[in-house]
Amino acid sequence: MMKMWRLPLLLLLALPAWAQEWKVDYGRSEVRFTIKQMNVPVDGGFGRFLVKADFEAGKPESGRFMVEVDMSSISTGSEEGDGEARRPAWFDVARHPKARFEARKVRRDGPGRFTLLGDLTLKGKSKPFTAALVLTPQKDGGWLAAGRFILKRNDFDIGGGEWADPSVVANEVDGRFRVMLQP
Amino acid sequence: MRDRYGWGLIILHWLALMLIVAAFGLGQYLEDLPLSPTKLKLYSWHKWLGITVLLLLPLRMLLRALERLDHAQGLTPLEAQVSRLVHGMLYLLMLAVPLTGWLHSSAAGFPVVWLGILPLPDLVDKDKALAELFAELHRGGVNLLAILVLLHAAAAIYHHHVRRDGVLTRMAPWARKKT
Repeated sequence: MMKMWRLPLLLLLALPAWAQEWKVDYGRSEVRFTIKQMNVPVDGGFGRFLVKADFEAGKPESGRFMVEVDMSSISTGSEEGDGEARRPAWFDVARHPKARFEARKVRRDGPGRFTLLGDLTLKGKSKPFTAALVLTPQKDGGWLAAGRFILKRNDFDIGGGEWADPSVVANEVDGRFRVMLQP
Repeated sequence: MRDRYGWGLIILHWLALMLIVAAFGLGQYLEDLPLSPTKLKLYSWHKWLGITVLLLLPLRMLLRALERLDHAQGLTPLEAQVSRLVHGMLYLLMLAVPLTGWLHSSAAGFPVVWLGILPLPDLVDKDKALAELFAELHRGGVNLLAILVLLHAAAAIYHHHVRRDGVLTRMAPWARKKT
């Protein structure tokens, strides 16, 4: 007969291992985007963002992923563009300083490949949003979390009014991220 | 000896003038325009016009090289020399002005997509100091080009109305030759 004192220990082992919260090496991480202006691809990015990645090495599906972007840190490839992007017609940074994406579900698409399904809150609007994610193990025991997403700027009222015409500035913004996660 | 250039060269000459005048006008207008969708549109058109001048240039140089007209006919040796210099500079600037514009665009991080269809390769990597330098060279080249175009036109008008020779009509056969 099993000794009674062993029971709590067994219960503990049967529980899923505690998910690990990974440290982010921001110096080697980036959030960037490309947007077509008059069919000309122009690169931009965000200098400041916060990532929380909380998952167990073998099971990212049950993990938690959150990204919060400081919208005033936007760069659009030109000083003129940086100023314009902060104004109310675009991101209205004064009223909406942060954008936030939180995955509600992580779907495994293949070895190391996942889809993050969640909500994006941007310029005061919250909408369902997906991003592709590839997790690549690193030598230091960490992960490179890289991915892509498509943002339709009209969904979030980004660049309205005179800027609405998608033949000048495309509706689809091609986003990508690389986040270095360390143990 | 023929008394006018071939039609290919005549068409390319007047086409280049129209493209250059339009690109020049747009460029001047754009310089102080605040960012707007109109500015992005006009900037693209400006680049398309300039690149078109650049793309037509090799064909024009080929036709010019094959042309057998005697350019020095009726000119003094000094006039012939000045004429060669001005024409040489005009060709050089039709190459240099669009090219420095393209270089500026590359260095500023905005690739050129000709007519919104054909992406041109970036000539240099993004570099702010380099972008400034090419912008200055572009401006300087444009100003010199404008002066030389005016000089060139003034010389043609002088030949037509004062010298009453066939210098203008060989490029503009529709203008009645003065006798």
